[in-house]
Amino acid sequence: MRMVKFLKMLSISVREGTATRKYPFESPLVTPEFRGKIEVDPVKCVGCGACTRICPPKALTIGNEGDEIVLKYFEGRCIFCGMCAYVCPQKAITVSKEFELATWELGDLYDEVVHTTVKCRICGKPFTTVKFVKEVEKRIDNKVPEDLLTVCPECRKKLTARKIGSKVVGVSGE
Amino acid sequence: MLAVSDGGKPDLTMSEFALNKLEEVFTKLKRSVWVFHLNTGSCNGCDIEVLDVLTPYFDVERFGIKLVGSPRHADLILLTGPVTIKTIGKVVRAVKAMPRPRLVLALGSCGVGGGIWFNTYATLGGYPQLEKILKDAGVEVDRVVYVPGCPVRPEAIIYGVAVLLGLLQPKSKHRRVSAVEG
Repeated sequence: MRMVKFLKMLSISVREGTATRKYPFESPLVTPEFRGKIEVDPVKCVGCGACTRICPPKALTIGNEGDEIVLKYFEGRCIFCGMCAYVCPQKAITVSKEFELATWELGDLYDEVVHTTVKCRICGKPFTTVKFVKEVEKRIDNKVPEDLLTVCPECRKKLTARKIGSKVVGVSGE
Repeated sequence: MLAVSDGGKPDLTMSEFALNKLEEVFTKLKRSVWVFHLNTGSCNGCDIEVLDVLTPYFDVERFGIKLVGSPRHADLILLTGPVTIKTIGKVVRAVKAMPRPRLVLALGSCGVGGGIWFNTYATLGGYPQLEKILKDAGVEVDRVVYVPGCPVRPEAIIYGVAVLLGLLQPKSKHRRVSAVEG
């Protein structure tokens, strides 16, 4: 009886073949829709920070480091949702198929894009990237007043208040 | 600090011989790693992928990797989840119960960096934060490999184990490029 059962199994296994994937020795099963690690194109990226605001786990962060603005991508926290690629106005972010990211060092999981900054002409604080200012200029056909383009948001508020004040009251805001 | 109560027993130490020849131990440890699956408050996504690795489809038993029920029998801990505050004591005790050399595979974006729970009040935020607590408790971990993914793919787990055992070199490298005009 046992012998018969064994023969039954043998016929099934011969028909069905091996189910096991030989993964390390063959290519992994990656579908066209698969989303892996993202890649930021340093040529297209303007450092606007749209991706950092949409990123659910805040794997993408943007911040000042001295005189530079650095867009940091921490693969270790990324959930591979692809929202950053969807929202990027410059189409600088592409979703790759790379998922074999295992590493010894946490530092290996960081990708950084370093931007040069524009300094506020009033307070001298670096507040945005050179490429972002250029992109804004391009998008509004150079219609923005030159004196407002290189002023940080804080100083711009004060400047606008002063302008309105001088118009309404007729006194200079100084 | 968070109490890790186990009767104040000293940490299990390796013999002098084994400590001096840690590298030799690792060269011998190339196959038949016994793994213990430690869930530290995970969403179960990574846990399902860990089970996937053990099914006939990926069948890691062809490499001798076997899931065991107790950390005392294990060489490697598969740590999933962002380490919630409630689990810290138990996690430290489980890691402490492992014999040296202790290996840890931090799985998933939660295990590596806390995932979307990296800065909440109820979690530590992944293995790097847990490592500090382990150090305070006097528990040494000999090797760690971080495997990102949400959830981690079964292939990525196999790849992570291969990196951990020194069979493969990690592909990820720190990249710092300046944005060029174009």
